[in-house]
Amino acid sequence: MYDMIAALIVGLIFGWILQKVRLTQYAKIVNVFRFTDLAVLKFMLTAIVVGAAGIYLLKDLGMVTLTGTTPTYIVGNLIGGLIFGVGMAWAGF
Amino acid sequence: MQKIIGWLKAPEWSPYAGGVALGLLSIGALLFTDRLFGASGAFENIGGAVMQAVSPALADNMYWNFVMPAGLSLGVIMLIGIMLGSMLSALASGTFKWRAVSDDQWIAMFGPNRWKRWAALFAGGILLEYGAGIAGGCTSGLAISGGVQLAPAAYLFIAGMFASGIVTAMFIYGKRY
Repeated sequence: MYDMIAALIVGLIFGWILQKVRLTQYAKIVNVFRFTDLAVLKFMLTAIVVGAAGIYLLKDLGMVTLTGTTPTYIVGNLIGGLIFGVGMAWAGF
Repeated sequence: MQKIIGWLKAPEWSPYAGGVALGLLSIGALLFTDRLFGASGAFENIGGAVMQAVSPALADNMYWNFVMPAGLSLGVIMLIGIMLGSMLSALASGTFKWRAVSDDQWIAMFGPNRWKRWAALFAGGILLEYGAGIAGGCTSGLAISGGVQLAPAAYLFIAGMFASGIVTAMFIYGKRY
């Protein structure tokens, strides 16, 4: 039950942030691929830098354990990304 | 306090501010729930549940029994949270409205026909899910959640996503790119 409520709360905040950065808009997503609005890139990389710094600090303090991340499988990760990008530019999700 | 409420109600944040917020959320999520984000997997859980209802024999396979369990997973709950959260956010800033065609830019490029937009959404959605399935996650589940843990898979995925996204946008927009 705790897990479910936690997942809902994380989802609510995540959705709130995505809407505020306007990533729910078709134009925001497509325009990053046209180099006319780099919000997606700024948003993603800032999140990764802040998140990674905090998570690795807490990991070194022994407060968190990393989740088992997606295994590195060069062909799969890359081809999956290539197909994903087509859908992303097409639909604007 | 007034300032924080004003900020929460603002119609738009700078992408850097949003990025910091998402980074902090990822730290909090890992600290308090031992999990990070995901969105695309939820569609596979739901798809499995639909398949079980329609044709149990077809749904009885490795994928839906073990890899992506069918039914109400934590991912599905998070996905519901994401939709509700962005809806609440739009309501709070007074920008919420119902629309059949999503965007002014889309209308300027491809016209106001809603079926055309929905067909593009449906076809694009299939590609997104298929790509995410092969790669092992989507923008949230792999690129962000993997990226903050410095997983090489996340960066390969981001590279592929931008490479093909740029080429696709060039192709779709043609001279208007």
